[in-house]
Amino acid sequence: MSGTINVTRNDNETVINVKGRFNFEMHSQFRAAYQSDAGDENQGRRFVIDLSGTEYIDSSALGMLLLLREEAGANESDIEIINTRPEIRKILETANFQRLFKIA
Amino acid sequence: MKILLVDDDPINRTILQRLLGKEGHPVITASNGVEGVERFIEHQPDMVLMDIRMPKMNGYEAAMEIKRLSRGRFTPIIFLTAVTDEEGLVQCIEAGGDDFLTKPFNRPILQAKISAMERISRLHATLREQKEELEQHQERVHQELEIGNHLFAHIVKVGNLLDAPCLNHWTSPMSLFNGDLLVASYNPVGGLNILLGDFTGHGLSAAVGAMPVSDIFYEMTAQGFSIGDMVEAMNAKLLAIMPTRMFLAACLIEVDPRQKSLNIWNGGLPDVLITDDSCRIIHRVPSSHLPLGVTHLTREDRKVEILEMCPDFRVFLYSDGVTEATNTDGAMFGNDRLESHFSGGQAPESLFSSILDDLQKFRGNARQTDDISLLEIVCAQAGEEARGVEARRQRASIAPSPWEASFTFSAHTLKSVDPLPTILNMVMTLQAPAGHRERLYTILAELFSNALDHGLLRLDTRTKKTPEGFIRYYAQREERLASLEKGSIRIQLSHTPLPCAPDGPQAPGGEIRILMEDSGPGFDITNIHSHLVGNTGHGGRGIALMRSLCKELTYQGCGNRAIAVYQWTQ
Repeated sequence: MSGTINVTRNDNETVINVKGRFNFEMHSQFRAAYQSDAGDENQGRRFVIDLSGTEYIDSSALGMLLLLREEAGANESDIEIINTRPEIRKILETANFQRLFKIA
Repeated sequence: MKILLVDDDPINRTILQRLLGKEGHPVITASNGVEGVERFIEHQPDMVLMDIRMPKMNGYEAAMEIKRLSRGRFTPIIFLTAVTDEEGLVQCIEAGGDDFLTKPFNRPILQAKISAMERISRLHATLREQKEELEQHQERVHQELEIGNHLFAHIVKVGNLLDAPCLNHWTSPMSLFNGDLLVASYNPVGGLNILLGDFTGHGLSAAVGAMPVSDIFYEMTAQGFSIGDMVEAMNAKLLAIMPTRMFLAACLIEVDPRQKSLNIWNGGLPDVLITDDSCRIIHRVPSSHLPLGVTHLTREDRKVEILEMCPDFRVFLYSDGVTEATNTDGAMFGNDRLESHFSGGQAPESLFSSILDDLQKFRGNARQTDDISLLEIVCAQAGEEARGVEARRQRASIAPSPWEASFTFSAHTLKSVDPLPTILNMVMTLQAPAGHRERLYTILAELFSNALDHGLLRLDTRTKKTPEGFIRYYAQREERLASLEKGSIRIQLSHTPLPCAPDGPQAPGGEIRILMEDSGPGFDITNIHSHLVGNTGHGGRGIALMRSLCKELTYQGCGNRAIAVYQWTQ
């Protein structure tokens, strides 16, 4: 029932693509996707969360985004959420996540 | 392996006993089915070798009895048979046999079969252990959840006023615990505070956060703090105790029948919908803040939406479990379907039940995937108290005694804190005139808001006469307070015990004198009457209310000094 995650990385960017349902079952997968790139030695690294294939997002997924934000260096990190469909964008905006992330 | 050998042929028994003995297996023998079952009960062997044709009880019957006796434990039974016909072999298996061995016996095959059975036995034993462990674990988790659920329900329910006449609510938790938190309680001036919260996740992890939040809610509501203050306290607490990935999407509403206002703070919940008699949505308050427990709050984040409350208003508040409820086809209930109920032409009092009915009809037998909460506030009944409302906390009261206290608050302090709850608590702790808290708070609050709003901020109550003016009034108030540079408010409280009755051991009560003075220019003292009349209009009926509560109310100086005397008896 839950989704799948694909990661592509280059020198200064990690792109995490979430397909299907982005919910609490994705916790370990999502964390594994960014963790190796989120240490102190990777400051200034850009994270892109591509939600083009995401069907649904729940509050646990929002929690995972917060965790990424914290572990990737809080306010200094460059995290962008891209390809949000209108329903998903509404959920992100209801939580006012545009104040914490770049959302496109 | 301890092996039970059941065979009526003594030669076979001897051969097999010798073979098995050489392999190091202890052997028990029996010469017919009845004896075999008896030996089995007595010795509890690990494996049985069973002949088929025997007197008294044949092998099939004995095998069935042994399988019945060893329920829950795996005891392999190998039939010893001369038959090679398929039917006979099928019967062996049907009787509970696990394998068969054809005569004459061949040592390597016997060895191989015994070790295969040993392997299966070990596997069974491991599985059984794991199953027992899982069952114990499950039982423990269930018990802990039950205890947690009990604690949660009681902590959240203490003083919860969800049965207040103006509230209709419906909640449906998806697991034993509710991740949605719904609490309501009266503040000291008769306003009703309501909190609907939706934690990340469900179950225990969500409920754990509900405890401090509801504690703060009840405590601060009882002390008369504003919902902005509560938002700040809850956010700080959740930030301190919750893991990063958990937060609370919440909406706090203060229904204030005295000021006829609805104060709403929405951080992360769906739009709060407000209808009037037309049954159409006439206001909506969308989420304009981050949920609680995400990050530190800015001054902006404390900002509360203030609306004028008309008697025909109905406020609808819900968690996203409503719009995200799915039917058996996996489709969502959705915003449009919810809001289609607000298309007018309906009886306003049936809105709540028609939304619920529609939601139930839509969901059918579909599995619930989120906690669902829906709440309606019927503003016409906002002033009615719930039955049986008593002061929640009783403090030991001390004998009325004389004391005096005075405070001066500068513009700087007035900008950032509301000093009233603290002052009121001080009075209650010192003197604890039980049952007088609400009235004292009302008097203090009225005097204080007069001093601040009219004295220092120079706001005109008459602005509040129209709904637009009402909103403008509070916008102006916020603006002027933020830019307030000069001025101060002095509060002086003095308490005198009432004279004792000739035979009484202690004073029957006391008199509290409150002086509230602001440094503003005041107003024409000769015109004080018109000022009071002006104050009884659309906005506060403050002064009229105070006259009914106080023994005396006078204005001095240039109208910037108010003195109220309140008498209390035990």
